[in-house]
Amino acid sequence: MIKGSARWVADFNEFFRDYPLGNITFDLFARGRTRNRGLFLSRFFAWTALPDYSVSLFCVDATESGRLSVERLRRIIEVALQTVRSKELKWAWLIAISGQELSPQVVSFVSRYDRYELGLAAASTLTRELVVSNTHIGRSIKKQLKLGKLLRAFDHGQAS
Amino acid sequence: MDKLAKTQLSLLAAYSSPFVLLSAILLNITMFSQGITTGPSRLIFLSAAFPIGFAVGRSIYRHRSHVEIMLDENGFQVKKGSRQTVEGTWSRYMLVSIIVDQFSRANIRLYASADDDYVDLPVFGSGTDPQKLRDHIAGLISKRGMKAPILQPVEAS
Repeated sequence: MIKGSARWVADFNEFFRDYPLGNITFDLFARGRTRNRGLFLSRFFAWTALPDYSVSLFCVDATESGRLSVERLRRIIEVALQTVRSKELKWAWLIAISGQELSPQVVSFVSRYDRYELGLAAASTLTRELVVSNTHIGRSIKKQLKLGKLLRAFDHGQAS
Repeated sequence: MDKLAKTQLSLLAAYSSPFVLLSAILLNITMFSQGITTGPSRLIFLSAAFPIGFAVGRSIYRHRSHVEIMLDENGFQVKKGSRQTVEGTWSRYMLVSIIVDQFSRANIRLYASADDDYVDLPVFGSGTDPQKLRDHIAGLISKRGMKAPILQPVEAS
């Protein structure tokens, strides 16, 4: 996210690695709120102008388990959506990263995914391909999180 | 037992500066009463305000705010100032996270259960990279601690 120069969207304040949830282990799980804390003026601005929603970021690295399949993606989505509902999150980002080429089925599934509360993205570090779901939250992974820029950083060996 | 500790210079300066000022004023008054009003000796005496104020500030900092984290294969101890704030064993914990507080300082949070049963380790004052420490602690927990339970997402009613 840092290498991709992401824009501020939410204030994630807690980060987990290898977070087990259901039968899925998320390589990265972050949670926070859309209202930032800040000090004095920025806090006042946040309090008056920004909504206070709980949000999360789920990230799965599917590199070791072979090619990312639609079936696996469905299972990951189901667990993420259950968490969205149980934790009363307003929205969440779910990013699945694969070390192999994305299959046409995965590309089609992700681009047609239309649940509002879950922005979905699948990315390949091999081909630098990035596909996002066709919702506002999904598109924001490209626009705000700038995941595409991060993937291009792999070309230059900057990302780690 | 590994000890993680680093002097927080900003805090030390905040504790010391009022005493530097105070000791400079007291030295000035003493010099006036002794009839030392000009000359290099006045400057030399006044410069003593820095070590005096710094020494007082440092002792207060050590007594109140200096953070020391000690950890080994079995558990950890956190000392803040002269008191021990948290102590525990890895076997009690199952999850570790990095938590960023309202001043953007990264700390380590250890979860004993999936609920709100946790303790915070104030690593911001120890001069340690929180990500490296998180990975190290996660390794210790997986060796010695509870097996991380599979947290079941619960449907909201």
